[in-house]
Amino acid sequence: MAASDISITPIKRADITGESAWWCVGCGDFGVNSAVQQVIMSLVNESNVPLENMFALSGIGCSSKEPDMLRVNAYQGQHGRSLPVAIGVAIGNPSLKVLDFGGDGDTYAIGMEHFMHSIIRNVNITLIIMNNQVYGLTKGQASPTAHGGLTTISTPEGKKGRPVNPLRLAIAGGAAFVARGVSWQRNELVDIIHQAVNTNGFSLVDVFSPCVTYHREPGIRGSGPIFDWYRENYVLDIKDAWDGMRNQVFTDKERAQLPAEYDPTSPEAALNGLRLISEAAKIGREVTGILLKDDSQPTMAENLGVSADRPPALADVSVESNLAGYRDLLASMR
Amino acid sequence: MAGFQIYGAGRAGDGTQTNIQILGQALKDQGAWTFMWSNEIYSNIQTRDTGFALRASDTPIFGPDDEFDIMEAFDAGAYSDEANEGRIPPITKIKTGGVFLYDSSVRLDYPNTGHEVHIERLAEIIAAKKLRVFGIPMGEMNKAAGAVHVVRGTIAVGAIAQMAGIDKDAILKRYAEAFGAGSNVYEINLKALESGIEFAKNEGWDLPDLKLKLTPIANDGRQIMNGDEAAAAGAIVAGCRVYAGYPITPASEVLEYMAENINRFGGAMIQADSEMAAAHHVIGAAISGARSMTATSGPGFDLMQEAISAAGITETPMVIVLCTRGGPATGLPTRQGQEELNEAIFGSHGDFARIVLAASEPEDCFYVMEHIFNLAERYQCPTFLIIDQMLAQSSYTVPGLDPSGFVVDRGKLLSPEQFAERYNGNGKTFKRYELTDDGISYRAFPGTPGVTNYYNNTNEHTEDGYLSEEEAVRQQQMDKRFFQRMDLIRAEPQLPQPRYYGDSGAKIGFISYGGTYGPIREAVERLGEAGTKAKFMELRTMWPLNAAQVKAFTDSCDVVYVPEYSAGAQLRGLIQREVTGPSPKLKSLLRYDGRNMTPGWITSRVEEAKVGS
Repeated sequence: MAASDISITPIKRADITGESAWWCVGCGDFGVNSAVQQVIMSLVNESNVPLENMFALSGIGCSSKEPDMLRVNAYQGQHGRSLPVAIGVAIGNPSLKVLDFGGDGDTYAIGMEHFMHSIIRNVNITLIIMNNQVYGLTKGQASPTAHGGLTTISTPEGKKGRPVNPLRLAIAGGAAFVARGVSWQRNELVDIIHQAVNTNGFSLVDVFSPCVTYHREPGIRGSGPIFDWYRENYVLDIKDAWDGMRNQVFTDKERAQLPAEYDPTSPEAALNGLRLISEAAKIGREVTGILLKDDSQPTMAENLGVSADRPPALADVSVESNLAGYRDLLASMR
Repeated sequence: MAGFQIYGAGRAGDGTQTNIQILGQALKDQGAWTFMWSNEIYSNIQTRDTGFALRASDTPIFGPDDEFDIMEAFDAGAYSDEANEGRIPPITKIKTGGVFLYDSSVRLDYPNTGHEVHIERLAEIIAAKKLRVFGIPMGEMNKAAGAVHVVRGTIAVGAIAQMAGIDKDAILKRYAEAFGAGSNVYEINLKALESGIEFAKNEGWDLPDLKLKLTPIANDGRQIMNGDEAAAAGAIVAGCRVYAGYPITPASEVLEYMAENINRFGGAMIQADSEMAAAHHVIGAAISGARSMTATSGPGFDLMQEAISAAGITETPMVIVLCTRGGPATGLPTRQGQEELNEAIFGSHGDFARIVLAASEPEDCFYVMEHIFNLAERYQCPTFLIIDQMLAQSSYTVPGLDPSGFVVDRGKLLSPEQFAERYNGNGKTFKRYELTDDGISYRAFPGTPGVTNYYNNTNEHTEDGYLSEEEAVRQQQMDKRFFQRMDLIRAEPQLPQPRYYGDSGAKIGFISYGGTYGPIREAVERLGEAGTKAKFMELRTMWPLNAAQVKAFTDSCDVVYVPEYSAGAQLRGLIQREVTGPSPKLKSLLRYDGRNMTPGWITSRVEEAKVGS
């Protein structure tokens, strides 16, 4: 069907709202869901992406209930395994807009193999992580992103060892788009996800989405205060990091070459981003914002010789249409 | 049936395999039916003993024979267990009166250096077996001609061709194909071949008993292929357009075939990061609407169990070619085994519908792919084909394969037109897991106009795919997905039916599946020729097992032998579980040393049992 034949009916939030999830009142994930729905509406209503081309996936965890919050084509899978399914969908039909939802345990622990290889393959999907430092669904164990010292039911004396830093891994792996949003700033999050979806290649949007039930900082209880803890003690916007840390991070000679503002599209963005992430970590801070945007690399579909115009899923597989080719194939054995 | 069997005993990297393959191809072109296999390939990349074997016959064959007529000995590995590790030297498998053709060079080059043949050490076995011994200084002849060491095998091929009356031009045609006519490598091989022919001629060597009366085939499409290649080709013809896999012996040839061929038909081959990833790629591609599959072996199949379970509850057509080998764990990676039947049928947690088929030779591997993909999509469930290492990796002569008869039936997968017709403008809503009269829900292609709620869910789910743990929902979906589906599958006429061989009135029966087919068929024939009536039921649908058919067969027998490559007697266990219960009538013939069964291996055990009873 040609694009001109498709008539897009504007959709409302209710059209893409599912049967809801088992999230606690005040959970950060509600903010992420709201932003995601906003982006889908914008894609369909303003960018003429047919709603039938949206495909959402998830694994296991609180965050992975996201497809239950939506009403779009979807696959809700097993723990850590949504990315390899997403690869199958994205290669099977590269015209689909693939959104994969995961959590910090789902993706950065049990799904780490798939996370790194999806990045390295540069499969054209957007991965949205609701990162809350704990396993909510299994009642509060520390996740790979739990910060040092965090006390949970599985780290009664405080988390020891290093947390996973997904941004650093994604940049090092060569992702096309690397960003971190926060669930309480919806407009910024909408912008980030929108840019991620429109970037050709693998896009990571790691979102701090606080757990109001199991993430306990000393002296902090309840929904509002944990958000305050993130705002006041944990996050550092990349723009602020750029302004505030350039003296520590860059030499005088380097500083003379730097643009005034952090530019995620500059050729140096990957290295600059990595250095700022490391510098922020020294003071216990995690960087937020868009760190990297580079869609110059070929995608996995391009490397495999398939495309939106040549999707395996829609290949004509009738024997009649392929008979000459099949006969050639069989004649070329030995 | 007339024929002969050759064993090339050399060392990995010395060219033994290439030359035997070329000889086999030439024999095929001359009208012979051939079977070629790696008899001794160790799972390492060192230059240790290796053996590649060729059987040629004037009638179709599907496996090895017991003993060898000719042994090409490229070094002492043919007769000695140099490393003293319990290896049975191949010379013990040469038949009485057989031919021992060896490189009589005083000093061999790498990788055979230090393993020279000392014929005087073989006096005893030569006398005992009355061997006909032919020594050719192949290495020295090569050196004199300025050729490299790996061309020694070509001299041997020349000598055999001269002695057994194999057409020289037919052999040259295959060297030309392999190396390019007129190329330097071709010219070197040409000289070597001619020197082998001349040597045998000058010595007056002749093997009249091994001369096959062959009628060169016109061009009937007869080809040489292994089970992996045949299954891969069949998959493409059946419409497979996404292949995802991870390299593993003995399934890698499927991946390699797909890498070379699938893209020209609009498909993609994904070399996955692991079997865990590969199986999930298959699920994703299947949901996108592509026919998709993977191939693997035991350790990889273990990693796929999670995805198989997911395909079960999401009702996703998932096709897996399971190439079995000796286990457990890494076990015997390059050798024969059938220890994965239980895992194929009972693996993965949870109860769900599945179909498990088996193929017995490459032609079967090719044609069964039509049914595998149709069954997987018609019943929206994991569907496996089991082929064992011998079948997967041995080269058989296969009659011309015809793709024109394949039918692609995608079951209840709605095309955009069918979707529009069914749902547009009539108030009906598409539900992925709709409870329908026949118990099978509709699928659709994401991207089809109107398909906006195609929700596949590994959680228990409602008809429209949303998570639910309600009792009634669970009961309905489970009944539909498991009981109703398995009933439908049991009644499916396209499940491959068993094949029967031998004397239908015989009271001695064999039941087996897969690559045991060739050896058992020949064993049944030989038993018959020796006056012992026997028959053979070759199972092709392993799950669901057709209990009535198996019962009819076992009831008709006094004793039923169950030959299989499994110490745990997995097939016998399945038959007892599904059909007979514990039964003294069923007798296992178990081979679990990683080596192939041969007709004599089977007949001798039957004869022993007769004596014993």
